[in-house]
Amino acid sequence: MAEERILEDERLTERLKDPAQSRAAFTEVISRYSRPLYWQIRRMVQNHDDADDLLQNTFMKAWSNLDAFRGDAKLGTWLYKIAINESLTFLEKERKRLNISIDDEARPLIEAIEADPFTDGDEIKRKLREAIATLPEKQRLVFNMRYYDELKYEDISKVL
Amino acid sequence: MSKTTKQLMKDKIEHSPILEKVDHSDGMTVPPGYFADFAKRMEAQIPERVELAPPQVRTFWQKVRPYAYMAAMFAGIWCMMNMFNLFRPASTIPSTLLAEAFSDDNFMSDYYLDNSYDSEFLDHLYESGYSPSEICEVY
Repeated sequence: MAEERILEDERLTERLKDPAQSRAAFTEVISRYSRPLYWQIRRMVQNHDDADDLLQNTFMKAWSNLDAFRGDAKLGTWLYKIAINESLTFLEKERKRLNISIDDEARPLIEAIEADPFTDGDEIKRKLREAIATLPEKQRLVFNMRYYDELKYEDISKVL
Repeated sequence: MSKTTKQLMKDKIEHSPILEKVDHSDGMTVPPGYFADFAKRMEAQIPERVELAPPQVRTFWQKVRPYAYMAAMFAGIWCMMNMFNLFRPASTIPSTLLAEAFSDDNFMSDYYLDNSYDSEFLDHLYESGYSPSEICEVY
């Protein structure tokens, strides 16, 4: 299964390099990666609308920087990197906009979790989300990738 | 046999009552049909790729032009400085004459430290009504 995924990524990478096929290949990339990237972003920003905007930005950036992607890194790693950078930049901007100190950065995230309309209503899951939100950004990222996305430590280190 | 840190962490995660209940689910949902809709929206938003023009080959003159301009600038400055030297007034005393005079050891005593001061002083005394003999008598 994992091997199939790697092969499919390699095939997509080759098609992305070809100008005649890049657009169609990128459409496939979107359908393949929109879910994992969305959840990664959503777990960082805790809000559906922000996650939606950031996911769009991630794909737009990937599309405009396609020439810079030479296929040295895995396609998924490259996309995860863009998504994480987008999320971290967004959180930094929000902190500045709301004039929040670095010690109190969990507050807006906890507020977003409490006001989030898109949940299954499970109280324990909500509590766990709030607890994870109090972690420093990098630790939160690692926890999310390891626990929820079940990525290997090796892959996590490549993304960060 | 003692367990490694990795094994301990694995056990802790696997046997945590909270994580057991949560079971790798964060409880977050999305609006119905969100991902299908997102793919369509994204597809519509992606702009056409602009084909980059092949890089232009620079001619020899284009490559050396900045250096040629710089050399011309320095040449211009050099010419300008020479032109100022041409317009500067020439010295009234021929330099060879000066050189000869300064090479002579007796020049200062013969031409510069002469007796003109004494004669001028005596003339001045006569004009003022004194005579040297009168002055000598006083002293």
